[in-house]
Amino acid sequence: MGKIQYMRLKGSQNLRLRLLLSTLSTTPIIIEDIRAEATWPGLRPYEVSFLRLLEKISDDCRVEINETGTSLKYKPGIVMGGRHLVHDCGTTRSIGYFLEPLILLGLFAKKPLTIRLKGITNDSKDPCVDTFRSTTLPMLKQFGVPSEGLELKIESRGVPPLGGGEVVLSVPIIQDSLKAITWIDEGMVKRIRGHTFSTKVSVQFENIMIHAARGIFNSFLPDVHIFTDHKAGQQAGNSPGYGISLVAETTSGCYISADTSVSYAQGKEEGELEEEKQELSPPEDVGIKIANILLAEIEQGGVVDSTHQGLLFLLCALCPQDVSKVRVGKLSPYGIGVLRHIRDFLGVKFVIKPDPSTETVILKCVGCGLKNLSRKIS
Amino acid sequence: LSERTAARRKINLMQLVYGKPESKSSDEMKEISDEGSEDDEFFKPKGEGNKISQKGIHENDVDIDDCSKFLSNVSLKDWSSDDMVASIRDRFVTGDWSKASLRNQLS
Repeated sequence: MGKIQYMRLKGSQNLRLRLLLSTLSTTPIIIEDIRAEATWPGLRPYEVSFLRLLEKISDDCRVEINETGTSLKYKPGIVMGGRHLVHDCGTTRSIGYFLEPLILLGLFAKKPLTIRLKGITNDSKDPCVDTFRSTTLPMLKQFGVPSEGLELKIESRGVPPLGGGEVVLSVPIIQDSLKAITWIDEGMVKRIRGHTFSTKVSVQFENIMIHAARGIFNSFLPDVHIFTDHKAGQQAGNSPGYGISLVAETTSGCYISADTSVSYAQGKEEGELEEEKQELSPPEDVGIKIANILLAEIEQGGVVDSTHQGLLFLLCALCPQDVSKVRVGKLSPYGIGVLRHIRDFLGVKFVIKPDPSTETVILKCVGCGLKNLSRKIS
Repeated sequence: LSERTAARRKINLMQLVYGKPESKSSDEMKEISDEGSEDDEFFKPKGEGNKISQKGIHENDVDIDDCSKFLSNVSLKDWSSDDMVASIRDRFVTGDWSKASLRNQLS
C-alpha cells in the first residue's frame, strides 16, 4: 500500500461536516490546530463521541488523536450500517448534532442502519428530534430516498443538563444514487403543525405554550394543530424541561420548521462563560417567541428553513450528474460553510443567483454523482 | 440596467461564498506571513488569542461553533402589528392566490 495522501485542514470549525464529507468522498484528512489557543484546548467530548460513532458504523476506519487533542488524523473506512447498534451521545451536545450527519451516512451504507441513540433529545442549540421527524425526514423523500424504513422513534425524552433520552433511528440505503431535483416552488403555507413536550414538569406548561403560539397564528391561518407529549417517570429522562417544535407545511410540500426548548443550563465544564440561567423563561414567552421565529422563517421564502440549508446543499451535491436547482432564503453562515466544504471535498461548485423580486437565492449545481458503492451487489 | 445590477450581485454572492478564485493563493500566503510576524511576541496570554478571534469577522474564525441552527438572523419582529401581518399575508393559503402565483412565475 502506498503512502496515503491526507487533506490538511485547520481549526475545529465544521468538524462533523468535514468528517462526513471525508467519509463520503473517501478522502483521508488531517485536522490541526483544534482550539490550540483556547483555555481548554483540543476536541470537545461530543466531537470525540462523534468519532466513536463513526468507528462504530464503519469498517476499517482509523482515528488518531494526539495527546492534547489538538490534532486529528482520520482515514475513512466503508460505512457498514447494521442493526441493533447503540451509541451514547453524552450530555454535552444533543442527539440532533449526531443525527444530521448520521442520516447521510446511513443512506450510503452497505446495510440499512438502525441505531439507538442515548442522550439529550431536546435542547435549544441543535434541531430537536421532533423537527427531525416532521421536517428533515420528509425532505429526504424529495431526493428519492425510499420512505420505507426511514423513521425516528422517540422512546424517551431527555433535556440538559442530565439527558436520559433515547431515540431509535432507522435509515434505508439508497439503491443506486439520489435523484436530482428542481425545487424552487415554495408554495403557500396551508397548515401549521407542532409538538410540545414536557418532562418532569406539569402538563400545564405545554397548554400555555400552545395557547400563546396559537394566538399569533390566528390572524393567518385557522388550520393550526399542536400536539402535546407529556412524559413522566422513566420516559421523562433525568432533568426537568419543556419545549416546542413547529412546522409549517406548504401547498408544494415544503416544510419550514422552528423549535426551541427550555431547561436548566449545561454544567460549567464547557469552559465557556455561559451566563447561568437560573430563572427559566416562562412558557408563554417561549410560545410567542417560537411562533415569531417560524413566521420569520416563512417570510424568508425558501423551500427549507435556515437550519436545513446545509443538508439541502449536501443532498444536491451528492446527486447524480444532473442539474439540481433549489431556492432558499438568506444564506446562513452554516450554509456557506457547507458550500465551501462541498467545493473542497466533492469538487462541486454551485451557481448562486439572487432573485431580487422575492429576496431569495437560487442555487444550481451539477451533482458529483456519488453512488452507493458499498452496497452489496447481488 | 437591472440586468447589470443582477449580474453584479450574482458575482458578489459567488465571491462571498467561494472567494476570489485567482487571488486566493496569494492571499493565503500573505496571511501566513502575517502570522509569522505575530509570533514575535513569544509570551502571549491565552485569553488574548480568543479576544482577537472574537473581534475578527466570523468567516476567519477557525474555531467557530459547529451548529447548523442559525438564530441571529431572526431578528425578533413583532408579528402582532398589522403591517407585519400584511407583509407575509400572501405566503399563506388564506392570502391572495393570484399574487402568490405571480411570485413563482417570475423565477
